[in-house]
Parts: sequence; C-alpha cells; structure tokens
Amino acid sequence: MILKRILPFLACSILSMLIGLTVFSQQKVISGKVTDKEGNAVPGVSVTAKGSRAGTQSGADGTYSISVANDVNTLVYSSIGFGRQEVSVSGKSTSDVVMEATNQELNTVVVIGYGTARKKDLTGAVGSVSARDFNKGIQTAPDQLIQGKVSGVQVVNNSGQPGGSTTVRIRGASSIRAGNQPLFVLDGVPLDNSSARPGGAGDIGVGDKSQGANPLNFINPNDIASIDVLKDASATAIFGSRGANGVVLITTKKGQNGAPKIEFNASVGVSSVLKKLKVLNATEYRAGLAQYELGVANDGKADVDAFDEITRKGLTQSYNISVGAGNETGRYRLSLGYLDQEGIVRKTDLKKYTANLSGSFRFLDSKRLGLDITILASQALDNQAAISNNSGFRGSLIGQALQWNPTQPLRRPNGSLNVDIGGSVYNPLAASEAYNDLSKVSTILATISPSFKITKDLEYKLIASINYGTGDRKTWIANFINFSDPRQIQRTFDTAGNVINAGGFARLANNETVAQQITNTLNYTNDLTSELNLNAVIGTEYLKYNNRNNDVNAVGFPDVPYPYYDFFSAVDQTQIKHGFYVSPTTELQSYFGRATVNLSDKYLLTATMRADGSSKFGKNNRYGYFPSFAAAWNIGNEEFFKNDFASNLKLRLGWGKTGNQEFPAGASQQRYNVGLGSINRDQLENPDLKWETSTTFNAGIDFAILKNRISGSVDYFNKSTKDILFQKDAPDPVIAGGRKWENLPGEVLNTGVEVSVNANVLNNQDFNWDFGVNATFLKNELKDFGAPLETGEISGQGLSQVRSQLFVSGQPLNVFYLKTYEGIDKDGIGTVPDTKSYVGDPNPNVLLGISTRANYKKFGLEINMNGAFGHQIYNNTANAILTVNNIGINRNTTAAALSAGESLASPIGASTRYLENGNYLKMANATLSYRLGDIRFVRGANIYITGQNLFVITNYSGFDPEVNTDKIFQDLPSFGIEYTPYPSARTITLGVNFSF
Amino acid sequence: MIYTKKLMLIGVATMTLLSCSKLDEKLNGQLTEAEVAGQGGGGGGADVNALLNSTYISVYGPYSNQDQIFALQQHTTDETIGPTRGPDWDDGGTWRVLHSHQWDANHPYIANVYRDILKTSFSATDLLRFSPNPRQAAEARFLRAFTDFAILDGFDQVPYRENTDDPKEVPKVRKGIEALDFIIAELNEIIPDLSDTTLAFRATKNAARVLLMKCYLNKGAILNRETPSFDNADMDMVISIADQIIAQNRYSLTPKYFDNFAPNNNAISTELIFTLGNRDPAAPGNGLNGNGVMFNYHESLHYFSPVANGGGWNGFTTLSDFYDKFNADDERRETSYPGVTDVYGIKVGMLIGQQLGPGGVQLKDRKGNPLIFQREVNLLETDPIAIELNGIRVVKYVPDYGPQFPTSNDWVFYRYTDVLLMRAEALLRTGRAGEALIPVNLVRARAGTTPLASLTEADMIDELGREFYWEGHRRTDLIRFGKFLEPWQEKAQSDPKNLLFPIPNRSLAANPNLVQNPGY
Repeated sequence: MILKRILPFLACSILSMLIGLTVFSQQKVISGKVTDKEGNAVPGVSVTAKGSRAGTQSGADGTYSISVANDVNTLVYSSIGFGRQEVSVSGKSTSDVVMEATNQELNTVVVIGYGTARKKDLTGAVGSVSARDFNKGIQTAPDQLIQGKVSGVQVVNNSGQPGGSTTVRIRGASSIRAGNQPLFVLDGVPLDNSSARPGGAGDIGVGDKSQGANPLNFINPNDIASIDVLKDASATAIFGSRGANGVVLITTKKGQNGAPKIEFNASVGVSSVLKKLKVLNATEYRAGLAQYELGVANDGKADVDAFDEITRKGLTQSYNISVGAGNETGRYRLSLGYLDQEGIVRKTDLKKYTANLSGSFRFLDSKRLGLDITILASQALDNQAAISNNSGFRGSLIGQALQWNPTQPLRRPNGSLNVDIGGSVYNPLAASEAYNDLSKVSTILATISPSFKITKDLEYKLIASINYGTGDRKTWIANFINFSDPRQIQRTFDTAGNVINAGGFARLANNETVAQQITNTLNYTNDLTSELNLNAVIGTEYLKYNNRNNDVNAVGFPDVPYPYYDFFSAVDQTQIKHGFYVSPTTELQSYFGRATVNLSDKYLLTATMRADGSSKFGKNNRYGYFPSFAAAWNIGNEEFFKNDFASNLKLRLGWGKTGNQEFPAGASQQRYNVGLGSINRDQLENPDLKWETSTTFNAGIDFAILKNRISGSVDYFNKSTKDILFQKDAPDPVIAGGRKWENLPGEVLNTGVEVSVNANVLNNQDFNWDFGVNATFLKNELKDFGAPLETGEISGQGLSQVRSQLFVSGQPLNVFYLKTYEGIDKDGIGTVPDTKSYVGDPNPNVLLGISTRANYKKFGLEINMNGAFGHQIYNNTANAILTVNNIGINRNTTAAALSAGESLASPIGASTRYLENGNYLKMANATLSYRLGDIRFVRGANIYITGQNLFVITNYSGFDPEVNTDKIFQDLPSFGIEYTPYPSARTITLGVNFSF
Repeated sequence: MIYTKKLMLIGVATMTLLSCSKLDEKLNGQLTEAEVAGQGGGGGGADVNALLNSTYISVYGPYSNQDQIFALQQHTTDETIGPTRGPDWDDGGTWRVLHSHQWDANHPYIANVYRDILKTSFSATDLLRFSPNPRQAAEARFLRAFTDFAILDGFDQVPYRENTDDPKEVPKVRKGIEALDFIIAELNEIIPDLSDTTLAFRATKNAARVLLMKCYLNKGAILNRETPSFDNADMDMVISIADQIIAQNRYSLTPKYFDNFAPNNNAISTELIFTLGNRDPAAPGNGLNGNGVMFNYHESLHYFSPVANGGGWNGFTTLSDFYDKFNADDERRETSYPGVTDVYGIKVGMLIGQQLGPGGVQLKDRKGNPLIFQREVNLLETDPIAIELNGIRVVKYVPDYGPQFPTSNDWVFYRYTDVLLMRAEALLRTGRAGEALIPVNLVRARAGTTPLASLTEADMIDELGREFYWEGHRRTDLIRFGKFLEPWQEKAQSDPKNLLFPIPNRSLAANPNLVQNPGY
C-alpha cells in the first residue's frame, strides 16, 4: 500500500528532472574573474542573471563562465561574507568583479516559520547554525550537531547508547506532563516527537524501562545545511499550540547551481569507554573480605574484570556521497549515506542507511510555476543490550558488571559460563551472551510542494507530505541464563526436585506511525513606498497522526537453534502472550498569518496570529488563539549613530503566546477498555481540557563592534507557562489510575539572560582565528501548584517506593527532596534522620558553550566545549550498586566504601549522600584538519582527525555528568538522575572529504 | 487584475476546502460510552457481564498484593513484621512505621489502599448505568459493599459517587454508623437477587450473609473504636444469620487445615464461601489474577528457599510471642504437606530452624552459613548474620510447583470456619460461653491439638489469631477486643488515633467533603 503512494512520487520526480535539465533558451556566454580587494581570487561566489535563480559559481581560481539569455543586462554576484553586487553587462562578454568582505552575520538568510528573513530584519530571538559550524565527528542525529552552539539551548545525551535519545530544552523546562522537547520542523514538515521503534519487552527480570531511540535518527546529519532555533514567542507563536518549547527548523541541502558536482566524505573512528568506575579488583576484594572477617566462602579464587569483559573498543565508519546540479530551471540533489557505529558495550551497534532525493524546478516561460519534491528514505538497525532504567536488586547489564565479585570466575574450567541457575546473582558475561535485541526502523518522508507566483509580489505555495515510519523489534534470551522474572521466565523443578530452568524468551514487536500534512500559504512581499516594505503571509495547515503497535512473546523454549523468535511453533501455544495498542487519531487544523513592516531598514514591526484546533482538546475548547507582537529598532542604520566603533546596534522587543499540546490523544474523553470478557472504564473525561499557554516577553540587543570583528547579542527573557497540563488526582471513588487530565491553575516561570559573542580575533593572510562563546543564565520556578507531587523513582535493593524529586510551589521543577546524610556513627552505622528537605536542583543555572576555530595556512583546528553549572545529579548507581554491604553478599563494591569503616548492616537508603555536584565542562569535540586542495580530478580535498568527548572536567563521580536516566514515576518525568546507564564513549575519527 | 483576483479567490477556496475537519477524535482501540451502551450486537444493550467481570477484577489486586490491604491489616498487628535487613526492605521506612504505629498521611501504601479499594465502588456504580439485570446489579452492589466495608473499617469515611458520568461531581461522604447502615441496607436488598451457586468466586447469597455477620459483629467497634460495645440485638443477628448458613449443610470443616490453601483448594476444600478463582477459565478475568498468592509466601521465605519462580524475598516474618500462642502439636503452626515437604523439603505454616531442600539437603544463606531461621527479629536488623536468618517465616498458602503462572491456589476471602467462630464470639459476648466453647474446640480438634477447658475473651482473640493468621483479619479483631493499642514486640503503646488510618493527603486534597481523621 505504501508502494502505491511512493511510486507516483518517484515517477514524477524522475520525469521532472529529465524535463528540467533539457530546456534551453537563446543564450550568450559571459565570463570573468572575481577577486577581493587584495586581488586574491574568491571562489564560490554565486553568479546569476538578475531575476533568475539559475547561475554558476566562481571556481577555485575565481573565474566563472555563465550562459544567459540574450536579453539579460545585469548579473548578480553574491556570496556569504562578501555581500551582493549587481553589475551591468549589457553589450559585454566579460565582467571582472571586485567583492568586499562584509559582516556575514547580517546578510545571512535565516529560516523562520513559514518563510525566510535576513538576519538583520529579525525581530525575534533566533539562533542560527550553518553546516560549517556544526559539531564535528560522528553524529547520529541533528540535535547533537548544535549542542553547545546556541545560547538558551541545552542538549543532553541521555546515555551513551548509539542512536539513543536526547533531552533538548530551550530556555528551561516549562512543562510537567506535556513534554519539554521543542517542535522539530524539517523543510516545512512538522515532525511529531516519536520514534517508530517498538518499546522494550517489559520486565524480564532486569527492569522494564529502557532508554528510547532518538526520533530524529532517520535524518542524515550530512544532508543538513543549516539549523535555525526559534526561541521566543514572537518567533514561535506562528506555530501556535506546538511552539511553547521553542522550534528547531532543519533545512536540508539542495542542489547548487552549476554543473553536476559529486561530494564524497568518509570517516573511520574508534570509540572507547570515556570513564570506567573504579570497583575493587580481586586482590582488593580479598583484602576487603579479610577486613570484615567474612571468611573465604565467597572467594572464588579467580581474578576477573567483569566490566572489561562486557565492553570493547567500537569501530565506527561513515560514508556519504552526494551529487547535485542546477541551472535556472531546476536543481536536484541526491545523497546516499551509510553509518556503522559499534557501541562500546559488546553486541550493541547502530547501522544506518539513508537516501535523500530533492529536486526543485520551475516551469512555464515566466518561471512562475515551481515544484519542489523531496523524498527521504532511511533505515536504522540497532542492537541493544539488557540495560534498563529501573532494574531492581538484580541490576541490569551495567549494574551486574559493576557488582560482579572479581574473585568469581565468569567461566567454569570447562569453558561454559558460570551461571547460577535458580539464583539471583547474574553473570554479566552470560547476560551479554544470552540477550539479543535487534530493532529495525524504516522511515519514508515524501514531500511535494508546488508553488505559483500569482503576481510578482504574491506567491501561493502548497506543501503536502506523508511521513511513514515502521519499526520492528526482535528480542530473544537464551535459556542458559537465569533471568527469572516471575511473570515470564520461571525456574521450575524436575521430578527429583532439582532446579531446572524452563527458560528462554522471545518476542516480536511491530510499530507503525503515519503522519500526513497539507499546508497552504499565500505570501506577499512588496515595497509599498520607497521606504516602506511589507511582507505578509497567511495560511492554513492540516495535520493527521496515527500510531499502532502489537507484539507477541513467549517463554519456555526448548533447545532449538538460535534465534528463538523463529521457533514460536515449539512452545505451548496457549502460553504465547500478545499485546495490541492503537492510538486515537490526532488531527490538527490551523489558520495563521504574519505581517512584517520594514520602515527604511530602521524600524521593524511584526505581528502574528494563529488559530489552532486540535482533536485532542476537550469539545468545549477546540480552538486556541496565539498572537504575538515584536518590534525592532536598527539603531545602527540611524544617521546619528554612524561611528567607527560600533557598526551595528539593534534593539528587539517581543511578546507572544504559544501553546503546548503534547499530552496523549484521547485524554479528554470518557473511555472504556475491552479485555477478555471484561469492559472497564479507563478515563474520566474533561470536556474543558485545553493546551498549556506560555507567555513570553523577550528583550534583546544585537551588536557588532570594531569593524565587525566582534559581534553578538544579549537577550533577556521571561516565560510564564499557565494552564499546566496534568493528570490530577480525581476525588475517590475513582477509576484505575485515579486521575483525570486537567489544566492546573499553577504557573511555571522561567527567566534568564542569554549572551552570545563571536570574535574574529586574528585575520591575517596566513593565520585566522575565530572565537565564540555563548552563555545562558536560567532560573526556574513552579508557583501556585497545590499539593506536592513526587517523581524521580530510585531503584535498587531496599529502595522501593523511594522518590527523590518533587513538583512543589516555590521550588524549581524536579527539586531534589531527600533525607540528609550525617555520616557514620561510632558503630559504623550510617545516620540519616527521617526528615526530608529541599536539597538540590537538577536544572542547571548556567549553560556554557565555547567554540574556537583557527586556520594557519592549510591547517585548521576547531574546538567545541560545552558545560553546565549550578545543578546536582543523583547518583542512583552508587546508591544501589556500589554500597559497602555488597562485600558481605558476594558482590563487588568500591575502595571508597570499604575505607570508611562502615558496618555491613548500615542502612543504605536514599539520601544526600548520593547527591552530587553536577558542574561540568566537556571537551565535546576537537578537530585538526589539513586542506589538501585540488589534486588531479579531485577538488577541495580535506583530511581531518576529530576527537569527541575527549575529556570532562568535573567532580561528579559517576560515568558522565551529561546524563538523564528516565526515572519517571506515575507519568511524571524526572531529570538529572543517573542509574547504570549505557556508558559514554570517547571517539577518535579519521576522515576525508572531497568533491569532483 | 481580474485574472489575478480570480486566481486568488480560487486559491483561498482551495485552501479552505483542502482542509476542513470537525476534529472529532476517533478512539480506535477503545470504546466510548455510547459504544459500550450499544454493544451486544443487533441493537441489544451493553455487555453487562463484561462490565461486571471488571468489577470483580478490581477487587483482586488490592486484596492479595503484599503492599495493600495485607500491609494495613497485618503489619500493624502482633502477627506480622517487615524488618529492615541492612539495605534490604528499607523502602523509605514504609514497613517499619506500619508495625510501630508511626505512619502519617503521606504513607504510600495507605494512600494506595484508599484509592484502589474505592475503584470497585466506582466500577459498580458505573455498571448500574447500563441497565443490568437484577442478579448482575446485586453482584455489583455486593462488591461495592464488600470494599466499602474495608474502607469503613480502616478509615471511617466512605465517599461515594452518584453520577459516574459527571466529571465535575464531588463525591459525598458517609461516616461511621451512617456508612454501616447503608451497607447493611444494601446487603439485605440484594440477597434475594444473588445466586446460590457453589462457585465460590462469584458473589453468592452466603457471601453476602458472611459480610452481614461482620457488619453486626463489628458495629459496636465502629460506633466507638476505643471502647467497643456489643448490643445483644446485634449479636443475635450474627447468630441467626450464621444459623441460616449452617442449616444449608453445604459446608463443613476441611479435615486438613492447609487443604484450604492448597493449589487445588477449590476442589478439596469444603469451606470456601468467597474466593479469587485462579486458573479457572470461568472465573472473572479468566482466573489469571493470582500473583498475590505467590507473593504471600515469597515475601517471607529466603532467597534460597526451595520454591518456584525465583526464590523468596527474605522479608516479612511473624513474631515469637505470637508463635508461642500455639501448642506444639497444633498443625496450624507447622506441618508437612504431602507433595511439597517430601519432594522439595519445605514445610507449611511457621518455619523455624534449619531449612531443608530437595533430597534433605541442608540449605545455606548468601554468606555460606547454614540457613537456620531464628525466633528473634528486630524492626531494624543491623547484625550482618542476623539479616539473613532472623525471624520466623510464614508459609500460609501451599507453594505451587506447577509449570504455569499464576499459581493455582484460590485466594480465600471468606471461609466457613469464620462463620462458626463469629457465631461463637457472639455467643460469648451474650453470656453463653459454654455454648461458644463447642465450635471453638471443633476447630482446635481439626488442627490436631487439645481442646480448651473454658472460654474467655482472651482465649477467643488468641484462637482467632491461631486460626486466621496472615489472612487479613488481625487488625479488625484486635480493635474489636480492645487490644490494638497495647504494646507488643517491637511496638510501644500506641496513640488512640492509630485506631484509624489517616485519610491520605492526596485524597483529602481532591475532595473537600473529606476531613482528616482525629489526631492526624
């Protein structure tokens, strides 16, 4: 069925390409050379006939040659960094041009909602990152490219898993239940924040919550040309009820003008564990047994390092090839990418195949009719290990490796794995060998976008897209391991009463998501008078989203060949379990408009309005209205301001309302579940349910001084979120779950200051040095909330029913609420009085990003660092896995735990003992490159070596202070807790890129 | 210009036509109220049997899981303790404060019980909207009365809804005697409509009668928990309802005590009146709700105890003073069970001393020392050896070694011995101790121990403990006999406020008609 939808697209695009490239009109040829003030050649300058989109680029030596229609009189020369010039060529056949470097910043074109604008015309707070400034190295998803690059934006890799999910927060967290991820828009297609990968197998004895996949994995970062982040409401209000957390606009590369050009890049890298936690080795363990007079019953006489056994050095390879071409009637680009990233945990990896075809064509003699087609196809395969977020006393793979007694051998003398059938101690090597989990996610995103210039000022555009994702996940666990989840894999006894393992588990799961979009816009741009310019757009948008999944699983596989999921025929058919889920259909229907008035390039005014109707809202509140206003004053363009020191000064003020509707579909209706012979009420309805409203005020200053050598901006924002979406306790008697979706009267307030400064420190013939820093100062507070609510579930033995965080008035979201540890008393028993208090905050107060780039002749060095300060992290790993009592029960612990003289019976509850300072500064990536230049038929060759995650400066004792293990409790999200996550990796990559 | 205007009009029209939806949300995998009402195909009404099954299923979890009703009715008494063993079972102190009577209105298990047990009230009331027939309505109302009684017993305030389709309704609250009178009235109305089937997992006339007996027996305690009174008229009601049940000649004392709790207890027990049917496809929920039985013995046994499904959790135990209330020959305290002890080495009842595995092998603990369960137990165990061994373990339900999950034992709510002993207590309280002694000694004879010479209130409460230990009765019985506040092992004298649990803070915050119980 999907093929039926895709084939017309394919046919259409191939046909269009062929047509587009074979149309020529009556031509003349103009050639010349482009140089700068010093007479040096300027490559890459775009040369186009005025009024036309087609043209060519100046080559490496600055020369160009363009074929234009006979009646063309003017050529336009433009280049980022050199501005734009129009030169008359009537009667000429050669034209040499001198270009002057300008402040590239101001003329950069920035993508904003439903349109583009020049940076100097912006009235809202927008952060732009172009491809050359992206984080280098192996990146699997777009959000990692801008980590540390945009003030106000915090990107946290939740764990070290290849392809794992990230937490992206723009200007702090404003929501409790409705999600804090921003809206991602890819070339005008809004993406919903879900991955098509099916969830995990539930509790098989090692916890049931595994870290999710990054929903943006299907995008190849190599295909991205720029990412623009809309931060304040005056920029995001046009996205209405989805814009409250900011909007990230991703623009992919399109074919460039000129003859077909092939670009190729390849890289190979090695990953290793960034930080290994120090647990006891065999000698130290024996000393510990002696220290506590435990005898030698638990001394296995061996010497193993379990963590080393389950980790390895991972090899990563990435290859990308793209071909693109274009002229005045059309451009196209086809790119293919392959990524193979081995994880540092054995048997984990991510393989990704992507293909991206985009074409952009103009038809009719007047070139009024345009057609853009994009097809993005990708398949991601990943293998995972048995690592969960909430494993109990048995631990998941990382926990098992950390607490494995180093004197116990992992293998018996005969080579078989040392598994304690029927017991509760897991051999991590056996767990790694026995557990297999392969997911495959295939995504196709197809967009067709015709446009028509009704008059020279008025353009109509339609975007129709379909985003189809399907995932399947195959899991199996061999029967030689003693996973003994009571609900699934059982230990049983044979007739003689001996324990046998009726084990083995297999599962097949499928997931399908379909998102459809139709957006219409009408865009008007005109100079009403010579001083006054009006840019207006109105439009409608319709989005529809569906999701369904199912799975089948069973236990009790006999000794059939692996993998077990091919042998469902061999188990008791009545014991095969099935699960099904289909989500309610979500529809969003919107009407929006924006008008921007530009008076003499000095005074700018923008107003937007959006009306959003959503099927998720209660029937009494179907439509929401989101306005915004912004004004900017380009003081730099005023006569009285002209001076030598500052070349640009712009003042911006903005106010707007945006919404958040990321709550589950069906939340406002009365619903009944159907089971086997049973029907029960599943939800209390709320016909008044509506979106959360965020009102943001933003004031900013953009400046450039010292002949544009230093530029930057400072923004102050105040963002207040009300009508907080929440599942509130309904009065008893009530249904299972006991809650009802409501908009609470409380408020989440985020205030802060963003500063970003870029400096061109040195700019000589041979040596060039740029330096940029961005810093964000944030304060977060929850107000007028009502009864406090707990989250941040702590896991581990003796730690059930323990929550570490609260949502409570007068404190930041997820404030740490714990007992205070007061040390060890004279008997070695830990003292923890029973009263809890507010002891920490997982939300950083300061975010910092530092980038610097230096070029010396052909060498280049680029360094990116990022850091966060003023927050705490709860080290659940240390609390559950690395406590002193472990040495008494055949488990490993740390030297620090032993040296404290603590009793083995000291209670190890959750307390400030495990709450650590989370400040860190991380060397995120450093790249050394060498420009080989042009070699024979190869152009612009470059080799580089990149190191990622090179080092972290921190006092945090866990794996990586950049961590966010999902410790959700009763659907309330947590933040800033670490629990045996997939460890972070340090990667060194060698790469080459060139074109021809 | 006209050309352009026409184009614009067409453009705008297309825009509006291309996307115009009423935005009604389709639920897909679930049903709306209208769909539930119109089910049963061919224009028939709702599938009320399906709704009724859900009401049954809502009762099972809270009653059989170890951290809900069991925690509140057992851990607060002299029968059960959940010691903290070093880092194990600390769980934020939740078990310790239950035993030492130091809970507060934030206790998670208290909050869960209040909410989860009242789920049945919602489910039953919602069912009544869909035109049930009299028997279906009677069964739903029984389940509502059954769970409301537990709320009344523990919290004294029973909220109720009248319109489950009014999302803005703030439930009213019945307190104390008002709530009890309502339950009694409900039971009397529905008994004629309930069935008389022998299937114990459905609400029957006899189940309703047993609940009625409990209402009358505890009425005086509900009126005044500090000094319960026993009105003769109420005691006579208890006796006469008991006589109705006895006269049917349907039940008798099962000869072997633990057969009532065996994996096949639905077949071999002659006492079961109301149960959670496990592994019976005719039972609500297809008989697949029996995790509670397995938890019941797992929570007490050691990690290396020879039971299926991964060994015990080394948690709860009983107390030595309670253990000493039994005669040494009392089978209820400890006995071998055929097919279990001879094959796997584990006995049933209260376990003390060296534990054995299959083939008689002597089991060891995690440190490699012999697994010898000790009499002593402390609320906070700090000695590293004691952590593994302390406490007398309890196996009330006979472990099931079958290959399937959940275990087959039916969870017992009401059984015939309860009828006999409630009747005996009523006789005792109306000055007929001699008559009361007869059924008590029958029960003791079944347990293989010597009869009592006379019967006092102290004997009665002790016998109730010996017969119904770990079945969720103890707290109610101790309050009725005025002993709940007395000190016992690992607990000091309690404050009178502890006779009731606090209304959980989150329930208080949601309903202004609830007021916090005195002292909290």
